Amino acid sequence: MKSPMIVFAMAILFGFLYAGCRSSLNDQTVLLKVSSDPTISFAIWFKVGSQNDPSGKEGLAQLTAAMLTEASTQQNSYDQILEQLYPMAASYSASVDKEMTVISGRIHRDNLDRYFDLFTQAIISPAFKPEDFERIKSNTINYLEKTLRYANDEALGKEVLYQAIFKQTPYGHPEAGLIESVKSITLDDIKNFYKKYFARDNLVIGIGGGFDNELVHRLKQALNKLPKGAPVPVEKPSPLPIDGRQVILVEKDTRSSAISIGFPIDVLRGEDDFYALWLANSWFGEHRNSSSHLYQVIREARGMNYGDYSYIECFPNGWARQFPAPNVGRRQQIFEIWIRPVQTEAAHFALRAAIRELQKLVDNGMTQQDFELTRKFLKKYYLHYAPTTSLRLGYQLDDKFYGVQDHLKKFPEMLDRLTLEQVNAAIKRHLQYQNLKIVIVTNNAIALKQALIADAPSPMKYVTPKPAEVLQEDREIERYPLNIKPENVTIIPVAELFLR
Amino acid sequence: MKTVMMSSLLLLLFYVFALAAQSEQASGIFPYPYHKKVLDNGLKVIIIPMESPGLVAYYSIVRTGSRDEYEPGHSGFAHFFEHMMFRGTKKYPGSVYDKLITEMGADANAYTSDDLTCYHLNFASEDLEKVMELESDRFQNLYYEEQAFKTEAGAVHGEYLKSLSSPWFLLSEKLMDTAFDVHTYKHTTIGFRQDIEAMPTMYEYSLSFFNRYYRPENVVLVIVGDVNPASTMELVKKYYGNWKPGYVPPQIPAEPEQQAERTANVTYNGETLPILCVAYKSLAFDPKSKTMAACVLLGDLAFGETSDIYKKLVLNEQRVQFISADFNSARDPQLLTIWTMIKREDDIDNIKNEIYRTIEHFKQEAVSKQKLNDLKRRLKYSFLMGLETPDDVAGSLARYIALTGDIEAVNQLYETYEQVTPADIRDAANNLLVEQKRTVVVLKGGQKS
Repeated sequence: MKSPMIVFAMAILFGFLYAGCRSSLNDQTVLLKVSSDPTISFAIWFKVGSQNDPSGKEGLAQLTAAMLTEASTQQNSYDQILEQLYPMAASYSASVDKEMTVISGRIHRDNLDRYFDLFTQAIISPAFKPEDFERIKSNTINYLEKTLRYANDEALGKEVLYQAIFKQTPYGHPEAGLIESVKSITLDDIKNFYKKYFARDNLVIGIGGGFDNELVHRLKQALNKLPKGAPVPVEKPSPLPIDGRQVILVEKDTRSSAISIGFPIDVLRGEDDFYALWLANSWFGEHRNSSSHLYQVIREARGMNYGDYSYIECFPNGWARQFPAPNVGRRQQIFEIWIRPVQTEAAHFALRAAIRELQKLVDNGMTQQDFELTRKFLKKYYLHYAPTTSLRLGYQLDDKFYGVQDHLKKFPEMLDRLTLEQVNAAIKRHLQYQNLKIVIVTNNAIALKQALIADAPSPMKYVTPKPAEVLQEDREIERYPLNIKPENVTIIPVAELFLR
Repeated sequence: MKTVMMSSLLLLLFYVFALAAQSEQASGIFPYPYHKKVLDNGLKVIIIPMESPGLVAYYSIVRTGSRDEYEPGHSGFAHFFEHMMFRGTKKYPGSVYDKLITEMGADANAYTSDDLTCYHLNFASEDLEKVMELESDRFQNLYYEEQAFKTEAGAVHGEYLKSLSSPWFLLSEKLMDTAFDVHTYKHTTIGFRQDIEAMPTMYEYSLSFFNRYYRPENVVLVIVGDVNPASTMELVKKYYGNWKPGYVPPQIPAEPEQQAERTANVTYNGETLPILCVAYKSLAFDPKSKTMAACVLLGDLAFGETSDIYKKLVLNEQRVQFISADFNSARDPQLLTIWTMIKREDDIDNIKNEIYRTIEHFKQEAVSKQKLNDLKRRLKYSFLMGLETPDDVAGSLARYIALTGDIEAVNQLYETYEQVTPADIRDAANNLLVEQKRTVVVLKGGQKS
């Protein structure tokens, strides 16, 4: 009896902290009062993102946001800003995704007044100095030309997967932009973009922590100085249908192969099927968790790599985060499988293993036992998603994006109502294994292409002994037909990526 | 029904506050009262009750890391062993352990660094006893067969492979290998490639590793959050009281004093801007040492975001993408390293000279009191703002506890920072940032793929 009681009390307490004290003034404000919190969190959401980048100017949204948060204001040069933030151990930053730009910061209440001015000035009176622009633009080009292409094969594979799925849509380029496009962006482009999108009618104000109502009033007054304007909404992206299994091999000098697999799904946070699919996905590939079934098959039983996960919502920076970041709201999501680097000679086998498991999930659904265990897991695990005021504030902004009434509160309620049949029906409705985009970053592209097309057995060679049942299953995996057509395999040298 | 629930909630809150009121009062920067006890077998337990909605952070800090890998051919073993700790016991084999953790919805993981291996879980307070039973069991009765051991070696190899595409990884590997001759800081935590590849053959050694290092005298248990200190301490005694002591300290060779500057180059098989690191042998972590504290502050004053060189090279002339300095707090003397990413290859030597000029300046001139006070204030707020959740608190303390074996190190360190004067900063620059203690490594991009 004790157990459900306390869990319920926890849920209520969470609700008390993040919902009970909320008193939204209007649609443009999210207030999350936590009186015991000695800090105040700010999050100003502008309804703009990389989907608003004009063609040929990809990267403009992110550069513009950086010109607010990493540059001078009309009141202070950037070095003066750094000087003033320094003793407060404070900062502010912008996160730019496809559809959302959120400028956020957090300050100890001792330093609120000094910080407030710096934070609001960054948003309402940026200086747009050429020297700041050159610095930020040069850093962005370096990121695209070098870091994204070379420094992390997993990040590269995921980015190429998103590009492939959303080709010719407003989601079809990295938020940082494309190399030639970023090079072509001028300071005037930045100023015009700012005027158009950083408008007072295009934002939602979020404040969390130990603030008072006077602060809300001050913040609203400050942001009221932004120009009027309601930009034209961008249409929801319509990714082209995927016909068969389409493979992109990114050729690169690397010792291992990183694999990403995906396809668009029509499920968004807040919908009934979302919660059913979240549960199924948690069982199949919970992020960086040994409870992930894919992890069990590929890492745990076979020791092939460091981890194997799947997603129904975009999860940026997964190698650095244990839990999803807020403010990645998107109207079009994909189902994504992430196979962390395997030895190159094992790439074919790993791909087969992952798709075979996906097929088993789609064809057979979950068992009652796995369903119950995963539901039990999620009912407590979700409490780790947003343990801090700033994270809960982020989730509440996302609620406005998705039009959900308190997702973190709804989540356990929906889990309670779910049945195995609903979960398995949602799997059937939204997941499939025939039409996939597959990206593999490898140094062995030509040989791998031939092997994939030939569809010949790809036996695993282990340096260490494995149990008989693993070896027996391997015989099925190594022959699992991928049916990849020659015209569906493309090789791209890494140096040709993200150009324009 | 709702009223009943709210009453339970209020009781819960009252309980938390009541406990906090009865606790020992903390002094110094660390804002939470804490309870500390050393069991007869040497296990140190630190319990920190904290207002949190039913969440608990549970950290088992083993004061063993890659520093303890003194036997040739065994670099990377502490990290590999961390993986093996998830393989379970006879009572709770790995798959059962996983299932129980999954049922609890716990966020469970571990990490290894040079001086520690840390096992951490976040979970609902109602699961405290079960977690303690599981954790105490695996620390005392770990059991795995050779086949499982060998399979896990594959996962570690995969972890190594995923790091290889990072220029930072290659640079750090070369820096440590160059700066140290005999001390185990010579290798990075993940270890040398040949040692990782040989891991499947080290089953017997792994048993000895466990027997020597996973002992109560070498472990500190930190429990933070919505807990009752008295009953939690009783549970600790129940589950850990019979753990047999037997820690065998590693025989880590002392690094001889460096006699001359060292240099090295790394070629990266991809494109990157050149990265330069200039490192100086520094001091072992000692929270009472004003010299060490001055050394930590010096790095930030000379090369941090508000330093003159940052303004010059990053903001005004824009010749580097960033510059920063990092004092690595460690049990034995480690490095104070200045890192910078340079925009043009032909500017590397000039930038290096700019760094040397900055150091010379700090040797000659005492920093302003205002700058020093700003930094002290920054450190204080940075620490306090990072203590939002039980996991934040335990996570912030873990390294200090690993280095000194005690929580008091935190308060001592921040007190020592307060005592540092501009003259101390100048003395630290003169004593430590000298050419003969320097190692310079440059990484450049190789041919395009």
